[in-house]
Amino acid sequence: MRKKLLSTTLVLLAVLIAVAPNLSPRAAAQEGEVFKIWHYESPNGAMGIAWQAAMDKFQEMHPDVTIEFESRGFEEIRQTAPMILNSDEVPDVMEYNKGNATAGFLSANGLLTDITDVAIERGWDQILSPGLQTTSRYEDGIMGSGAWYGVTNYGEYVMVYYNVDMFEEYGVEVPATLEEFENAMQTFVDAGITPLSVGATEYPGQHIFYQLVLNQADREWVDAFQLYQGDVDFHDEAFTFAAEKIVEWVERGFIDEDATGIPAEDMGVAFTNGEFPIMASGSWWYGRFMNEITGFEWGTFLWPGNELHAGSGGNLWVVPANARNKDLAYDFIDITMSPEVQTLMGNEGGIPVNADLEQIEDVKIQELIANFNAIIEADGFAFYPDWPAPGYYDILVSGVQELIAGTMSPDEALDFVADPYFEYRESVAE
Amino acid sequence: MLAKRSSLDGGYWVFLLPGAIALLLVIIIPFVVNVAISFTEWNGITSPTWVGIANYERAAHDKTFWLSFENNLYIIVAMTVIPTLVGLFLAAFLYDYVANKIGKSAASVFRAGYYLPQILPVAIAGVVWRWILQPRWGVLNWLLGLVGLEPQNWLGDADIAMYSVMAIMVWFQIGYPLVIFMAALQRVDPELYEAASVDGANWLQKFVSITIHQIRPEIFVVVLMTLIHSLKIFAQIFVLTRGGPGRATIVPSYFAYQNFFERANIGYGATISTVMTVIIVVLTILFIRVQSRQELREAL
Amino acid sequence: MAQPFASDNLKKALALLFLTALLVVMLFPFGIVTINAIKTPQEYASDGPLSLPGGIYTQGLRDFWERVDFTNKLVNSTVISVTVAVAGIGLALLNAFALGIGRVRGRVWFLIFFLMANTLPQEALAYPLYYFAKYLGLYNTRLSVIIVFSVIQSAFGTYLLTSVFSTFPREILEAARIDGASKFQLLTRIVAPISRPTLSVLFVFFFIWTWNEFFLPMILLVSTSNQTVPLAIAVLQGQHNMDATTSSASALLGILPCIVFFLLFQRTLTRGITAGSVK
Repeated sequence: MRKKLLSTTLVLLAVLIAVAPNLSPRAAAQEGEVFKIWHYESPNGAMGIAWQAAMDKFQEMHPDVTIEFESRGFEEIRQTAPMILNSDEVPDVMEYNKGNATAGFLSANGLLTDITDVAIERGWDQILSPGLQTTSRYEDGIMGSGAWYGVTNYGEYVMVYYNVDMFEEYGVEVPATLEEFENAMQTFVDAGITPLSVGATEYPGQHIFYQLVLNQADREWVDAFQLYQGDVDFHDEAFTFAAEKIVEWVERGFIDEDATGIPAEDMGVAFTNGEFPIMASGSWWYGRFMNEITGFEWGTFLWPGNELHAGSGGNLWVVPANARNKDLAYDFIDITMSPEVQTLMGNEGGIPVNADLEQIEDVKIQELIANFNAIIEADGFAFYPDWPAPGYYDILVSGVQELIAGTMSPDEALDFVADPYFEYRESVAE
Repeated sequence: MLAKRSSLDGGYWVFLLPGAIALLLVIIIPFVVNVAISFTEWNGITSPTWVGIANYERAAHDKTFWLSFENNLYIIVAMTVIPTLVGLFLAAFLYDYVANKIGKSAASVFRAGYYLPQILPVAIAGVVWRWILQPRWGVLNWLLGLVGLEPQNWLGDADIAMYSVMAIMVWFQIGYPLVIFMAALQRVDPELYEAASVDGANWLQKFVSITIHQIRPEIFVVVLMTLIHSLKIFAQIFVLTRGGPGRATIVPSYFAYQNFFERANIGYGATISTVMTVIIVVLTILFIRVQSRQELREAL
Repeated sequence: MAQPFASDNLKKALALLFLTALLVVMLFPFGIVTINAIKTPQEYASDGPLSLPGGIYTQGLRDFWERVDFTNKLVNSTVISVTVAVAGIGLALLNAFALGIGRVRGRVWFLIFFLMANTLPQEALAYPLYYFAKYLGLYNTRLSVIIVFSVIQSAFGTYLLTSVFSTFPREILEAARIDGASKFQLLTRIVAPISRPTLSVLFVFFFIWTWNEFFLPMILLVSTSNQTVPLAIAVLQGQHNMDATTSSASALLGILPCIVFFLLFQRTLTRGITAGSVK
C-alpha cells in the first residue's frame, strides 16, 4: 500500500512539474534585458576562454543586461539549426559553421540577419583580409561575395605535424617539395615505420586528399569548386592526381590500410604517443598538443609544394533573423574582435585575426600564427573539401575510404563523389 | 467472430478512445504528412515543390537505396533471430535451473547483468565498442594476438564491418527478450509440468510443448518488436560506422537521415521513410493476422 | 530420482562458469566506461582508453556538471521518463482491455493501427512534429516530448498487453461480471492487479527507453534548461575531437537512475504469481 502511495505521489509530482512551466505565462522578454548567446566551443579551449572574457567585458559594458549563455553541442546545432532558426526560440547571437551548405543555406532562406552595414560601420571589413572575409559573405547561398551574414573572429588551417626527434633519428629533413615529402616517408617505411597517422573513419582522410588536389590546383580551380564560379571536372588533372596518389601511398605503405577503422581522436592520440612521425591535420590540434605531448619535440610545416592550403576563417558569429536584441549582438561581436580578446585567444593556442602580435608570448604560438599569416599574404585559403554541398562530408569520407581500402578505383571514387556535388550545385542554380 | 457471446462483450470500444485519438494526432497525421512530403522536393524551410513520383523513381534506380535494405537483412538476423532464440533458452535456463538449483537472487543478478547493455546510452556504447575493436590497440585484437590469431580491422574493413556490427547488436539486444520471457514464465502453471513429468516427458519435450506454448504471446511480441526495431535501426549505425566503410553498413534509416538532415533533401528522405514504413506495416499486418488466427485455433 | 552428489554440483559449477563468462562479456564495455570515467585527460592521451587509471579523477566531471547544469538535466529526464512511463501504461491498459478482454470487433486492425506508432521511423516524424509543435505553441517544451513518447511507448504496451490478455482466463471475468462488476471495475480490480508482472516490465522498459531517447528530444527541446541527460552528454562531442573521459563519467552518472530503477523493480518482477491466486 505504501509503495502505491509513494509511486502515485511521485507520478503526480512529475506530471505537475512537467506541466507547470507551460501553464505560467511566459515572462515578458523585455527588450535589452536578456541577452542570449550560444556557442559550442569547449570552455578550456582558446575560443572558449577568449569568449568568456568577452562576455565578462560585455557585462561591464551593459551592467543592466542579463547574459544567458548556453553551452551547446556541435552535432546538435549542425542538425537542428535550420529548425531552431525558423522559430522564435532563437538566441541573439550564436556560433555557426561556415560554407555553402550551412551558413549559405540558412542565409539563402532568410534565417540570418544581413549585417553588411554593421560590418562596415564597425570596421570588421578592415580587420579581416579579403581571403578571410570569404566565409562571412554570401549571395544566394554561395559564399565569396555579397552581403555579410556572419563574422569570423579566428582562423584555422591544415598543416603537417611532425615528430622532430624521430626525424632527427632517421636523418630526415623537413621537406620543401612533394617529392621530398615522399622520400622522407619512404625513409620511414624502409625503417619499418608507417609514417602517416590517418583517421580515415572521419575527416582526416578527405583533408589529405584535398591537400593533394591543391598541390595541382590554382586559385581559379578553387573558386570554381567552392564558389561555383567556373566549371568543375572531377576527372581533371588535380582530382585524378590526388586519387591516384592516395592509392599509391597506401601501396607504398605511407598510409596504413587500417586507417579506415581509425577515428580522428585516435589519430591524434597515436601521434601524441610517438607511434607515427607525421600527422596531417588542422590547427585545432595545436593547443591540445602543446598541453599533451611530453615525450618528444614536435614541429609543423605547411604541406610541401602547395601554394593553396585547406583552411579559412573560423566558425562564424551569426545573428538570427528572429533575434530580439540585435544591437547587443553587434556589441558582443565587436568585443570578440577587439585586440584585447584576440590576444588572449592567441595566447591560449588559437589563431586570432586581430591580435597584438607583440603580446603573444609562446614561441610555438608565434610559429602557428606566422604560418597562418603567410597563407593570408599568399591568398592561399582553399577552404575545406566538404563545403560545397550539404551532406558532402559523408560522401567524401566514404569515397576516400573506398580508395584506401581498394574497393573503388580512382575513377570510380571520383564518379562517386562527383554526383552529389553536381546535384546540389544544379539545384542552387535554379 | 466465433467467440461465444457472453456477458463480457459489447461496449468496450469506449476504452479505445483516448489511445486512438492520441495516436491519430501524434502519429497518423504526421505520417500522412510525411507521405505527402515524399511527393515533393523540399529543403525544410521554404515551400515544398510538387514533383509527383519522381522521388520514387529515383529510389528505384538508386544503388545505395537497395544496398541499405540488403544490409538490413543482416541486421534482422542479429537483432531478431539470434536474440530471440538465445533469449528463450537463457530465460528458461535462468528461471528453471538457476533459480531452483542455485538461488533466486543468482538468477536475478544474471538477468540484471544481461539486461544492462540495453541501458547504456547508444552513443557511449558506440564509443566503447570502437575502442574495443580498434585495429591497432583494441582489446579484441590484443586477445587474438595472445592466442596467435590475426588482428583485423573490425569496423574499417568493408568485408567484415557488417559482421562486427551484427555481433555488437546481439550483445545489445539479448537482454530485451530475456527480461520479457522471464516475466512470461511466471504465468506458466507449474502443475502442467508436473502432469507432463508424470506422463514421462523429458526436459526438451516439456520445454517445447509447455513452455514455448504457454508463453507464445510474448514470443510473438518479441519477434515482431525486434523485427520492427531491426528495420528501423539507426543510432547504432550512426555511432559505430556512419554507414561505412564506404557504404558497407548503410541502412535505410541512416540513408533517410542523411537526406533529411545533411543534404536537406526532405522530399527524398520522406520517400525512403515511407517505403520503410510500408514494408514494416505489411510485415506487421501479416504477423498479427497469423498470431490472431493461432489464438483462434487455440480457443476452439 | 537419486543423483550422485558430485555430478549435481559439477553441473551447477559448469552452469555458473558459463553464465559468469557470458556476464563478463556483457558487462565488459561498462568496465571500460568506468575506468575511463575516473581517468585524467592526460592519462587518456598518453596511455589510451584501455589502460587502468592511476587514481580517481573527478574534476572533469565536476566542471562538466556545472557547464551543463547536470542537476537540471537529471530532473528533466526523470520528469519526462516517469510521466511517459505512467501515461504509456495507462493508455496501453485501456487499449489492451478493449482489444484483449473486450474483444472489440476488428481488433486485429485496431492492433495494427496502434502498432503504427512503433513502426514509424523517428526521422520521418521529425519535420511534421516540429511544425505541429510550433503551431500549438509546444515547441521547446517538455510536454511535447512527453506527449509524443507516451503515444510511442504505449504502442508496444498495447501490443504486449493485448497478447497477454487474449489468454486471460475467461472464467474469472465472467464470474466477476455475474457478481455485478462494471467494466471499469473489471479493469482496475481484476485485470490490472493480475497483470502486475507485465505492467512492471512495461514500466521499467518505458522509463529506460524514454530516458535514453536522443533524436526527437533533440528536435523538440531547444533551450538547454529543457534538455535531457543524453543531450547534455552529446555536448562533449566537439567539432574535431571528443572529451572521452568526461563523456564516460557523465554517461555513468546519467544511467544511474535507470540502474536504480531496474534494480528496484527486479523485486516486483521476481515476485511470482502462483497458479493458486488465479484459481
